[in-house]
Amino acid sequence: MNRKLLMAVLLLAPSTLASADSQWVLGQSTLTYHVSHPLHQSEGISHAARGKGVCHAGQCDFLVAVPVKSFDSGDSNRDLHMLQVTRGAQFPMLTVRIGLPDAALAPATILCDLEIQFAGQTVRYKQVPFQKATQGNETRISGTIPATLSDFKIDPPSLLAVPVKNEMPVRVEMTWRPL
Amino acid sequence: MNPKNTKYSLASEILFVCLAIPGSLGAQASRATLSGTVTGPEGAVVANAKISIKNVATGQSSETQTNSTGQYNLTDLNPGDYEISISADGFTAKAAKVTLAEGARQTMDLALSATSGSGAPPTLGDLGFPAEQSKGNAQEQARLDKRSHMLKMHQRLGLITMAPLLATLLTSNGAAGRKSSLSGRELHGVLGGVTAGLYLTTAYYAIRATTVPGTKTRGPIVLHKALAFIHGPGMVLTPILGAMAYAQRNRGEKVHGIASAHSAVAAVTGVAYGAAMLSVMIKF
Repeated sequence: MNRKLLMAVLLLAPSTLASADSQWVLGQSTLTYHVSHPLHQSEGISHAARGKGVCHAGQCDFLVAVPVKSFDSGDSNRDLHMLQVTRGAQFPMLTVRIGLPDAALAPATILCDLEIQFAGQTVRYKQVPFQKATQGNETRISGTIPATLSDFKIDPPSLLAVPVKNEMPVRVEMTWRPL
Repeated sequence: MNPKNTKYSLASEILFVCLAIPGSLGAQASRATLSGTVTGPEGAVVANAKISIKNVATGQSSETQTNSTGQYNLTDLNPGDYEISISADGFTAKAAKVTLAEGARQTMDLALSATSGSGAPPTLGDLGFPAEQSKGNAQEQARLDKRSHMLKMHQRLGLITMAPLLATLLTSNGAAGRKSSLSGRELHGVLGGVTAGLYLTTAYYAIRATTVPGTKTRGPIVLHKALAFIHGPGMVLTPILGAMAYAQRNRGEKVHGIASAHSAVAAVTGVAYGAAMLSVMIKF
């Protein structure tokens, strides 16, 4: 009888774990965009992202949002220019949605399909790798989103009539904790 | 009925209407209206959402509901600050603040998020961003677009100005050196005039570029702006001193007095202008 009960528990355990409902909240975060110009490289950093994750019935949905205005490159003129070209006043939030089975969260490298809303456009990136490191009840996620300006129909900002390169990778470092 | 009495009665009615209409119109004009559409997470309209509005100063409140197309309309509101709260079945209640001006017909669209805890994917409403931070502002975008256009013109003209500026410097020897001639002075003067004209147009676009309130100037642009306080007056002073020197040389005199400062002022102006260009080209 005890053996049968143990077998039943062992067989049921993985599915119970997979369907466990949980919620996650984004703690600290650093989002850094990088743009290249023949004259110099620039980075804009934001720590203002907020995020939430909901795991339910084996499916996890995460949402991260950050005000476009919050990116700081150390140059107010550049920040205003970026805000203008990305239509940041009209579309003030950059949102990233991730939906994946909770089993996909287990490996150290998580491959995510991202849906990004930015500059009035919605763009999907497939299988973007993120590194996962767990410490205590906190989970650190880091990776780079291979964004380009043309993906979001952004006219490349220019300096002295020379435009920046099309690539605008966004480095993401986030710490999530369960609610 | 006595016709005299009828006349009096009609006159008094007209008088009443004349006196009453402006008063009522005035009262209507000072009242504000707030309307908008309530939507759910996917942008679908939310019917029968309950909208409550409370005047912060007086505490007076009123309520309404959205219709089948998710629209609400709150009329007859006094100008002032209001707290508005929206609730609907299956959605997280939401609160927002709004300031209504006298006679305003304001539109405020409201987005509700699905109630959490049901396993529904999180929505922007769950993240607790203030409404003013997550709501787009077309006017602000137009202001940024205008500013960007002005500064793009400023940059282009600034680059173009470099050409006559360098040409003016290169022809300075023919205007003031040992081998100077009238034609050399004239060429130098014309190039200087073109430089000054282009420079002033360039400056116009920077000065007239729309400012964005609440933005603190940081980075290389601080130096770029500071240098304008050197090359700006220099670009005005240089042609004046140049014209004086030109007149003195044409009279066969040696350049003297304040006009003798022309080349020094021009050199400082040129260096400051070049440094201003470099300040935005090189990352500090």
